[in-house]
Amino acid sequence: MLTTSVPPPPFSRLPPLPTFPPSISPEPLTPTLAAQKQVAELCLSQHEIAARAEPHRTFPFDRVAHAEFLAGALEKYPWQFQVQDASRPWLVYWAVAGLSALGEELEDVEDWRDGLVATFKPCQNLDGGFGGGYGQLSHLATSYAAVLSLIASEKEECYRMIDTRAMWHYLGRMKQPHGPFTMCAGGEVDVRGAFCALVIISLLGLPLELPQDAPARKSGCDNFLTNLGEWIGKCQTYEGGLGSSPGNEAHGAYTFCGLGSLCIMGTPSKTVKKFLDVDLITKWLSARQYAPEGGMAGRTNKLVDGCYSHWIGGCWPLMDAAMQDESPNSSKRDYWSREGLLRYIFNCCQEDGGGLRDKPGKRADAYHTNYNIAGLSWVQNKYSFSEPKDGEGVASGLAPAHGWDYKPVVDIPGLPDGRVNPHHPVYVIPWTAAAKAQAWFGANRAMAR
Amino acid sequence: MVDYGSDPAWSDVVPIVQLDGGPNALAQIAYSDEYSEAMSYLRALMAANELSDRVLSLTENIIRINPAHYTVWLYRARVLLDQNRDLRSEIEWLNPIALKYLKNYQIWQHRQTIVDKLDDPTGEQEFIRTMLEKDTKNYHVWSYRHWLVKRFNLFNKGELEETERMLDEDIRNNSAWNHRWFVVFSQDDSVWKDPGIVNRETQFAKSKIQLAPQNESAWNYLRGILRNSGTPGSAIMGFVLQFAPIDEPEKIRSSHALDLLADIFRELGHIEDAERALDLLANIYDPIRENYWTYRKDKLVISVDS
Ligand SMILES: [Zn+2]
Repeated sequence: MLTTSVPPPPFSRLPPLPTFPPSISPEPLTPTLAAQKQVAELCLSQHEIAARAEPHRTFPFDRVAHAEFLAGALEKYPWQFQVQDASRPWLVYWAVAGLSALGEELEDVEDWRDGLVATFKPCQNLDGGFGGGYGQLSHLATSYAAVLSLIASEKEECYRMIDTRAMWHYLGRMKQPHGPFTMCAGGEVDVRGAFCALVIISLLGLPLELPQDAPARKSGCDNFLTNLGEWIGKCQTYEGGLGSSPGNEAHGAYTFCGLGSLCIMGTPSKTVKKFLDVDLITKWLSARQYAPEGGMAGRTNKLVDGCYSHWIGGCWPLMDAAMQDESPNSSKRDYWSREGLLRYIFNCCQEDGGGLRDKPGKRADAYHTNYNIAGLSWVQNKYSFSEPKDGEGVASGLAPAHGWDYKPVVDIPGLPDGRVNPHHPVYVIPWTAAAKAQAWFGANRAMAR
Repeated sequence: MVDYGSDPAWSDVVPIVQLDGGPNALAQIAYSDEYSEAMSYLRALMAANELSDRVLSLTENIIRINPAHYTVWLYRARVLLDQNRDLRSEIEWLNPIALKYLKNYQIWQHRQTIVDKLDDPTGEQEFIRTMLEKDTKNYHVWSYRHWLVKRFNLFNKGELEETERMLDEDIRNNSAWNHRWFVVFSQDDSVWKDPGIVNRETQFAKSKIQLAPQNESAWNYLRGILRNSGTPGSAIMGFVLQFAPIDEPEKIRSSHALDLLADIFRELGHIEDAERALDLLANIYDPIRENYWTYRKDKLVISVDS
């Protein structure tokens, strides 16, 4: 368990910017390099100020201010925010996931759990999916955000409002015969669609068999997983990460969605190895972490950004599970710098007065607040997966949420003050919520075919 | 601004007002009257499944207020595809909106739907170029470009030259590198058996590395070629050593060269040299990735044992 007696290691463990001797042909200063140098200097100065001011050598984690910021994100917005009208389920998901991880009960703030059903009823369509608001078309992204928010509450009244049978039919209509899913009827086909659909299928315990009215059946496709692993494999680029669809540039968010999908489809050490080049993705993920910033960038030669604390940082728990049987050492091994990311989040992403952000100089928002907090969960815990015994899987053989386990990591600075409640590495909601939902939906499965 | 409530052209429509879940609902928005009214009329038209010209004017108004509204775009596309509408003028209407809202992505899915139906890519490459001048790494624009190239078989229609031009402007633009890979290598696997193309691309990557040895994009491209063409790393060992002279570590100019060198040594069975390269990465040249380099070192031993 967690011990507090371990002293923080010295600041020098965060390595400095590699400085190369003058080269024969000096590196040309292009827009990419100029921006990179500027951000590196900005972050280094943040690290230096933090190390001067405080014995733990990071800025303290301002838990209450961040919780207040997220609670504020659930309040009423002025009209200028109507450009977010199609993203309200996301705003709710970011806030409730972040608040659950912070575990902060705020006085004078009504419990968000009581507002969920009222919020999502108008978004729910007869076709089974959720749209961004009343009268908006069903969309896999908003369905994902709505289902996760409802499940994060751990309340039965929230479970009950999801129409599982209609949802099953809706997802069936999104399945494409060549493997992936479209985000909505007439919308884009990319790896987010697969991840959103699989998260919903596995949490609600829906059958993997496609409903009879699924159009993909006409092409001989009878299962949600048909051709899916192969298609995700094709999203892996020559660099090692995954793009949104085959041929597109490797990108952190799509890589998380692809890996997450494979980690739902079966035991990660089998599915990830079967469909991806593991050496290549490990190398690419590793190269996304920069010094002296310590944070993660989403693509090659792009800048660090707090949301990739999750999109890249969150790939590491999944890769840990994928590689846990490689050698006797594997379960103890780390492939990345937890300390570097922790420092980036604490020193560079906290906005004075609450909320977390992309990088110094940017404004905090609910999205970056949630995904930085999720990053803390990946930094602070070591995750693993144990294959379920027979019959313990969900929806005919998917990897169950409770197959995952975590152990808190103790020897990083800034703790225990900055510790958050651990998220589930696949579902990115509180640890207990995912397994509890699977158990409830499993026991209440009354799906007439 | 249109006042739908008093406009005779809309008098037959009974608007469906916003249902926002009552006082308990979270993250509600205090919509402007203008947006609220327009949305109420849109809900009514959608409920009646109306595919008329007035849908186009209504969706145009809503998009002006909220361009991130996927439902409005999708419904507009349905109307446009429903009968023979003028899709050219739709593209002309879209252009300034795309340039105004650079980060909006619904617009690119819409464009794809329209251009697909038009069955004609005229002007698209030029417009993409204008967009990328404003935002050189915009993921949605690059994705649209991939779709366009594939849909209309534009692989040999100036795309290669375009990536070269963009890399001349910024040698580290990884989106341009990725597009080059897509244009050259994604059409047909037989390209890997064409020594002319494999050599040309190898030389291209090498020449860019000469200009900026610490540019990861160029090294990733080069390594992708080696791996897919089955070329052993030892074939370019002399080139790599220029940037990572391991016997004179103070002269090393590229961590990526050192990384590749470690793999070449492993391939040749020179385990101690590979360890030396990985130690330099862990301790001096890329220490934030120390854990990864240590893992690579441990794997050397495992692969020797087995
Ligand atoms: Zn971000």
